[in-house]
Amino acid sequence: MQRAEPTLKARAVKRQFGHRVVLQDISVEVSGGDFLMLVGHNGAGKTTLIRVLAGLLRPTAGTVQRSGATGMVAHSSMLYDALTARENLAFHGRLHGKNDPALVQRILEQMGLAPHGDRRVATFSRGMVQRLSIGRALLPDPEVLLLDEPLTGLDDAAAGIVREVLQDLKRRGRAVVVATHQLVEVVDLATTVGFLVGGRLAGLEPVAGRDAHAVMARYRELAANG
Amino acid sequence: MTRRDRALALARRGQVITGIALAGLVGVFIRALVFTPIERTQGPAQKIFYVHAPAAWAALLAFAITGILSLIYLWLKDRKIDSIAAASAEVGLAFSVVMLTTGPIWGKTVWGTWWSWDARLTSTMFIFLLFIGYRVMRGAVVDPEMRARFSAVIGIMGLVLVPFIHMTVYLFRTLHPDPVLLKPSSPSMPGVMLVTLLTSVGVFTVLYVGFVMQRYAIAILRDVKEEAASAVS
Amino acid sequence: MGSFWTAALAIAAKDMKIEWRTKTAFASALVFAVLVLAVFYFARDPTAVGALDIAPGALWVTFTFAAMLGLNRAFMLESENRAMDGLLLAPIPPSAIFVGKFLGNLTFVGVVELVSLPLFILFYDLPIIRQLPALMGVIAMATVAFVAVGTLLSSMVVRTRFAELMLPVLLLPFLIPPIVGAVQLTSRVLSGRPLSDLAGWLKLLASFDIIFVILCFFLFEATLEE
Repeated sequence: MQRAEPTLKARAVKRQFGHRVVLQDISVEVSGGDFLMLVGHNGAGKTTLIRVLAGLLRPTAGTVQRSGATGMVAHSSMLYDALTARENLAFHGRLHGKNDPALVQRILEQMGLAPHGDRRVATFSRGMVQRLSIGRALLPDPEVLLLDEPLTGLDDAAAGIVREVLQDLKRRGRAVVVATHQLVEVVDLATTVGFLVGGRLAGLEPVAGRDAHAVMARYRELAANG
Repeated sequence: MTRRDRALALARRGQVITGIALAGLVGVFIRALVFTPIERTQGPAQKIFYVHAPAAWAALLAFAITGILSLIYLWLKDRKIDSIAAASAEVGLAFSVVMLTTGPIWGKTVWGTWWSWDARLTSTMFIFLLFIGYRVMRGAVVDPEMRARFSAVIGIMGLVLVPFIHMTVYLFRTLHPDPVLLKPSSPSMPGVMLVTLLTSVGVFTVLYVGFVMQRYAIAILRDVKEEAASAVS
Repeated sequence: MGSFWTAALAIAAKDMKIEWRTKTAFASALVFAVLVLAVFYFARDPTAVGALDIAPGALWVTFTFAAMLGLNRAFMLESENRAMDGLLLAPIPPSAIFVGKFLGNLTFVGVVELVSLPLFILFYDLPIIRQLPALMGVIAMATVAFVAVGTLLSSMVVRTRFAELMLPVLLLPFLIPPIVGAVQLTSRVLSGRPLSDLAGWLKLLASFDIIFVILCFFLFEATLEE
């Protein structure tokens, strides 16, 4: 389902810290129904790119245009350990102008956390924290969801729930961008794959039914050349 | 001409200006010690004043410039402006130290007290403390852009604070006047002494400019070195 | 406008809820306050220095130093789990974060003051019931001053390695005008003289409050973006 105006558009984005250039000339577009998978080595700039796309970092050069709300899920949960799951969601809801306990309950159920809603986040396992973090990002029903390594450290059950959520987003016409190592988990959901090599987008192509092996082979090919 | 060359040229010009100022300083010292009459009530020790007051003036000037450049940095976000502000702060810190050491020496010799909490002296002491805070802040932040922004915030806050400090001490003094009367610069200063004072102020100002030029040049050279280092890695 | 105050109040409420759950900062501040009051009382020659002479200074040193224990807490809360990212991603004006933190800090310091004030009256045997409104007014004005500056400075200092050391170093110069004014006014109030005698100090305190609250409000955004 393509729309006339891409939901998220990055044009020639460059980002440096002091003299260290981390991202160079990155141009990418996603619209509703797209599922972009970003592949790259550690240090290739995946996290920085996600943060720039989310709007937490300003590009040193280039532009990022968003025509809808953006949600982000990262390694850090952005949650408050001393509050319960429900309180965390309610707080973020309030920040987005939504004071709706029923919505909070729905999100808890969708993430499989309903029985733990009134426990403090400090008591949660990694998998539960990650799910709650995704719930937090989904609360305002964003047009685009950006995820940085969402499946690291998750057990099969938790990973399964995350996959379902991503699939559901795609079905509902939202855009998803995932930066990941664990290609196997999301490659079948992805529509496009971007290869980050040394801060540049060495390749941006449709997945075209390739499996994880094929995609990794392509990555190695591009990394060797670039 | 590379950035490095331009920085070295700036440093050289700064050295020349500093050299001229130092020569001027020697001239001021000679004039103060030999050709300026001894003050009637304070005696020869009063001559420290010709170093103390201009140093205070230079510190105040440095502080004001750092504050104003901080405002401009937040508006233009040009990191060169931050480098100049930092150079000014460092030079100002040095002048503050001169002021804070000559002050008590003068005070003790002439009036018998090491320190007097008068508005002017106390304000300049706080300028010294703010310079230290500025420096501490810069030392604690690694990312250059963040360091520039944080320094600018401190610079602006400090600039707004100093008039309040001055007012606070003034009010305090009105309420609790100190028995020792201080008249650091009486308006009825004879012409000869005034000329010496103003010359000294002029020389210190030139000294400030020369030092800031050199310090800024050093900052550019350091940056050039860092740029080269990160390009290699 | 609606989103500004909703966000600011939500942030302040969240902070207070978390502090209420853990109570660590509050407890340390309170213990500190009692200790300082006691030390000041005993660290004098009772025949030469009356309790009334030392009381105002003791009170204000107690308030400010106890407050400094709690000021860093507000932003440290947001660096855990990178919760600050969550605040920045939300569609709220960044200045709402400042106001929320400021109100949270004000409440924290206010409660510490409210609890230590009766102790102060007790220890120093002060006859102040009649002067209570005037005293509360002075306390409120001075507290607003140092909490505003403290909130702004802690937002920066929290990102450095030596937050606990740096906050006092940077904050103390800014405490001089409000605290000296507060001590003078407190001393006046305690000796039963009318505040109108000290119009100059009141004007100083009021103008400091207005100018610095506005200044800190506008400078806050500069401490945020990466």
